[in-house]
Amino acid sequence: MILEALMAAAFVGALTVFLAPDEWAGRLAFAISLIPFVGSLYLWSGFEAGGNALLGGEIAYATQIEWLEVGGRSVSWFVGLDGISLPLFVLTTFLVPLAILSAWTPVDARQSQFYGLMLFMEANLLGVFAALDFFLWFVFWEAVLVPMYFLIGIWGGPRRKYAAIKFFVYTNAASLLMFIGFMSLVFALGDSVSSFALPEIAQAIAAGDLGTWFGIPPDRVAMVAFLAMFLGFAVKVPIVPFHTWLPDAHVQAPTPASVLLAGVLLKMGTYALLRFNFTMLPEQASMLAIPIAAIAVISVIYGAMLALAQKDLKRIVAYSSVSSMGYVILGLVVFTEYGIGGATFQMVAHGLISGLMFMAVGVIYNATHTRMVGDMAGMADRMPVTVGILVAGAFGYMGLPLMAGFAGEFFIFVGSLSAPALPYAPVFTALAMFGIVIVAGYLLSAMQSTLFGPFELETDYEVGPAAFHDVAPLAVLLVAIIVLGVAPDIFFEMIRDAAVPVVEGVTIDG
Amino acid sequence: MTAVAASIPPSWYLLLASAVFCIGLFGVLTRRSALYFLMSVELMMNAANINFVAFALYYGDLTGQVFALFVIALAAAEVAIGIGIILVLYRNFGTTDVTVPAEMRW
Amino acid sequence: MVNAFAYVPAIVLLPFFSFLVALGAGRYLPKGGAFGGIAATAGSFLLSVWVAATVAGGRAYDETLYYWASEGGAGIGPTDIELTFGVLIDPLSALMLVIVTLVALLVHVFSLGYMNDEGETGLPRYYAGLGLFTASMLGFVVADNLLMAFMFFELVGLCSYLLIGFHFREPGPPSAAKKAFLVTRFGDYFFLVGVVAVFATFGTAQFAGPESFPALADAALNGSGSVAWTPGGLDLGTWLTVVGLLVLGGVVGKSAQFPLHTWLPDAMEGPTPVSALIHAATMVAAGVYLVARMYGFYVLTPTTMAVIAFVGGFTALFAATMGVVKDELKQVLAYSTISQYGYMMLALGAGGYVAAVFHLTTHAFFKALLFLGAGSVIIAMHHNEDMWDMGGLKSKMPVTYYTFLAGSLALAGIFPFAGFWSKDEILYEALVHGLNDPLLLGGYLMGLLAVPVTAFYTFRMVFLTFHGEPRSDTARDPESVRWNVKGPLTVLGSLAVVTGLINMVPVQKVLGLEGIDLLHRWLDNEWGGIEGLSSHHYADIGPYSSAYLVGGEVGTVLVGAAVSLGLALLGLGLAWRLYNVPSPTEHTAKLGGIKDVLYNNYYLDELQVWLAYRTEDVAGGANTFDQGIIDGVVNGVSSVSLTGGGRIRKLQSGVVSQYAALLTFGLVALLLVLGATGGWFL
Repeated sequence: MILEALMAAAFVGALTVFLAPDEWAGRLAFAISLIPFVGSLYLWSGFEAGGNALLGGEIAYATQIEWLEVGGRSVSWFVGLDGISLPLFVLTTFLVPLAILSAWTPVDARQSQFYGLMLFMEANLLGVFAALDFFLWFVFWEAVLVPMYFLIGIWGGPRRKYAAIKFFVYTNAASLLMFIGFMSLVFALGDSVSSFALPEIAQAIAAGDLGTWFGIPPDRVAMVAFLAMFLGFAVKVPIVPFHTWLPDAHVQAPTPASVLLAGVLLKMGTYALLRFNFTMLPEQASMLAIPIAAIAVISVIYGAMLALAQKDLKRIVAYSSVSSMGYVILGLVVFTEYGIGGATFQMVAHGLISGLMFMAVGVIYNATHTRMVGDMAGMADRMPVTVGILVAGAFGYMGLPLMAGFAGEFFIFVGSLSAPALPYAPVFTALAMFGIVIVAGYLLSAMQSTLFGPFELETDYEVGPAAFHDVAPLAVLLVAIIVLGVAPDIFFEMIRDAAVPVVEGVTIDG
Repeated sequence: MTAVAASIPPSWYLLLASAVFCIGLFGVLTRRSALYFLMSVELMMNAANINFVAFALYYGDLTGQVFALFVIALAAAEVAIGIGIILVLYRNFGTTDVTVPAEMRW
Repeated sequence: MVNAFAYVPAIVLLPFFSFLVALGAGRYLPKGGAFGGIAATAGSFLLSVWVAATVAGGRAYDETLYYWASEGGAGIGPTDIELTFGVLIDPLSALMLVIVTLVALLVHVFSLGYMNDEGETGLPRYYAGLGLFTASMLGFVVADNLLMAFMFFELVGLCSYLLIGFHFREPGPPSAAKKAFLVTRFGDYFFLVGVVAVFATFGTAQFAGPESFPALADAALNGSGSVAWTPGGLDLGTWLTVVGLLVLGGVVGKSAQFPLHTWLPDAMEGPTPVSALIHAATMVAAGVYLVARMYGFYVLTPTTMAVIAFVGGFTALFAATMGVVKDELKQVLAYSTISQYGYMMLALGAGGYVAAVFHLTTHAFFKALLFLGAGSVIIAMHHNEDMWDMGGLKSKMPVTYYTFLAGSLALAGIFPFAGFWSKDEILYEALVHGLNDPLLLGGYLMGLLAVPVTAFYTFRMVFLTFHGEPRSDTARDPESVRWNVKGPLTVLGSLAVVTGLINMVPVQKVLGLEGIDLLHRWLDNEWGGIEGLSSHHYADIGPYSSAYLVGGEVGTVLVGAAVSLGLALLGLGLAWRLYNVPSPTEHTAKLGGIKDVLYNNYYLDELQVWLAYRTEDVAGGANTFDQGIIDGVVNGVSSVSLTGGGRIRKLQSGVVSQYAALLTFGLVALLLVLGATGGWFL
């Protein structure tokens, strides 16, 4: 019941903060958000499950209670964790308090609503990663959009309405496509499943229970379902060419929302891709390996090239997220232990690093009120600590060894270069790896022109170092990134336990 | 009387009812005055009533007649509300022309 | 006896702790944390000497210390690979440990004079950077597998970024730092692909032992073993060549070989002690050291060897020509570094493993010496680096002059200074192996041609700086330097004179004296070492055979030495004629159009800048495409639905009669359709 308790803590906390006065809503929300964090550490320390939750592995902290009956199939409150979802669960509970802390300075209106929405989003995010019943999962999945919509639409930048609506409509339309895809699978399974529980469905598909549906043969149903779900999740990830909502949303969103958007919301897409497409339909995934790998590589290179062309610091980081997510897709599609494990690890690593980058850019924005590369120079002179951490974070983004990003990328590359499931794997891998050069190019250029050189910024006030509560979350994130880079095994071992059954699901000829 | 009525084939009643209905429909579609509107609606309802009664007679089943009575009661209620609406309409727009108040569009 | 090898991690960790201390508490410490750094590097140095002594006592060490990511379970693709950190102590790494820690120690001491006494700000950051730099390099040196080597290789790159960009408030250093990291990152891209390829091919990246990747590659080529994977269609030899070239990409980047050498002259923007560290013992040395470390792999693929040799020889000559026209002291030294590392690469490619390590050693000392000497001059000249403003410093700063002269003689390869012995051995190896191999012979000839050029620019520098009349006010009255500058100079100056003694191969060959080729015996595991990592082993599995000129081995030795020494003296003499005069003038104009080409570094910087701009253009194009086409489609969908909705909503006219009409027509239409399909009209 501890999972429920943590989610309930966030949910009740959201309601409490909604009703709290604005003056101390921030502090209250921070205190409340520590409860899920401490709880998730407890979950982590006691975690012993092995295997993949969907493929018959142990499910830690599981609860399954019948809830409804829909169309002859039961819907249950079914939550639990395995080696893939636990790291993301911990990532969420870790990022939310830090994001709340980073909101103290910039958010100066309607605080109680802001922090309430943050906690409400946390509750739903935790639900997404913990839910093991499709209906339950889908409810959380959609409910995440609502607080994010308001966070962007109310506290965002000048074009916030456009960005919020684009974000909401785009991802929601994609969800619909995904829903249709999944439902066609469920219907094609017919009577062989009696519930919407994901493990049952995944195992039924693996057992070959897919039947003919409306005269469509099972292979065709599976392929159509795969494509529909893939497109649906591709928007969320986002994969080129479905990425254009992301820079707009990031640029308009307030810093804390950006942190959660890049840090956790994007991972929902890749997590779902792994859980649904690659775990349930490995045959289809390996049939489509070449096109998927191609768009992964395109995402990496094209995203990096776009980042190179940007002048807004947040846009740079936003596009580089597109690039990083390309690595994740590549790791998933190669179907090796290191590939899928590395992709999952990269989700966590990128969550931390992009969170750090958005937060640091936010701290600088608080002081300068501009994010444009040409408008400022030599910020290192005025904000040495913030800039120091930003530089460290940027190197983390470039995949500096002994930081989390390198571990994730390296695992993916090791897994993908000689992957038997992907034809021309060495070519795809080598092309994708060139991203590490471009990422260094744009981040170093942006840093050189904004952070270094003689100080330049037109303001009518003195620009000074950031407050302690602004810098502290940055430092905490940096430490986490380094710890994860030096000892990736603290997550990678459990991830690998959960990734191996997925890999075993695919058969390779030759 | 009953015998005479029953000896007329039902298709005649249907034709009559259709004619009345069409007159009513024509009124609804072409008239602009709300009062004509109301009267045309009455015509259409009575066309339905004719059918009810005719089939009740044909099948010897009283349900149709009961329904016709219901419709008459309904029509009375409707006229009450309809006139009320027309009065409000006139008070607000100074006319009973139904094409003038087009506030409830896009 | 306590085991020295147990303390190897401490060698790496001590400078790392000094990094932490300087970063965290440097501003509260005297001298900005300098003493912490000195103590740490001194400790590392002593431990390194102890470790070297233990190796001399006949022992070696190869131990996995930490599992970075644990061994995998079942699965498809590469499994059971171990991603580990470990320590490999053999004669090569023990020697390198001593060099790196010694130079780092001296650089720390020198920094007291160069940074603290000059009133620089940000000293904690500086010493933190130095500490991390040293720690990364030491971690790289002791690495027992390619992955760990790569990781510390990258950290070395990070530190060079931080230190080159130390003066971040000025426009130049951040730009140079960016260039240094970016250009080396370009090389490291290939290196990383190579690391991944090694894991995929062999399932291990260990350097030493029967299960190491060089041993596995050897076995597979012999047919007595097999590899886990080769990409489809490629035969093993080709694939191993590709892998070797990929790893070589990182080497070319870090060791500043053509065409990725352009970052190094710019890196002179960093503080001079940092330049000394980068050039002598850390970053640039890392590339060559890596080739030496996995030499057992490279000797298996003749093509790679030939490429290494040719690139090295070409770089040696190419960089030397550019050094001839530079006006700034540190610029000349920068090009000399590129050129000297070219020699080392030539040696490695020519099968002269020992010669390369020898030159790495002597170069570390004399190049550190030259940079620190230049630093001393720069202090004296109030940070003016233009040699045309100097002159006559000989009498004002004798310690600096005589040590600098010793370093210059070594660099120019004049008998009997350290550089002569090592450079001579390189050329000898290239010659005897090159007589059977035209490509190698080409490398040798270019290396030989570079000798007089090197001597010329070296002594042009010496004469312009120290000889003649002072050409500016600061040169007439230079600032004096203290013990913390002179001390390191003296130590390095003596080393530049005597280091050649560790490897007197020509003397041994000519006079028949046994046992004075210490370095050869050291690297041949005569005292202690690890099976498969000896110079003999490399020679056995290498592709080369020796051939001699007239007079057999002895004759070739003598002829080779005489030719290279003669050429060096020729260059020196020319410099003497042109520049050892009271008021020298620029003679570069005599070169005509070539001068511009040389002065602009063959326009390679321009080429790279052009490439960078073209990349940015492509990025701009991609951005336009993204905003216009891709986002245009997204916004297009939304505006189509918006306008569509706007049109359709006109139906909602608000006129009741129209609604009624629509209703009626709708019903009629529906009836007609149903009737038509339902067959009512038939």
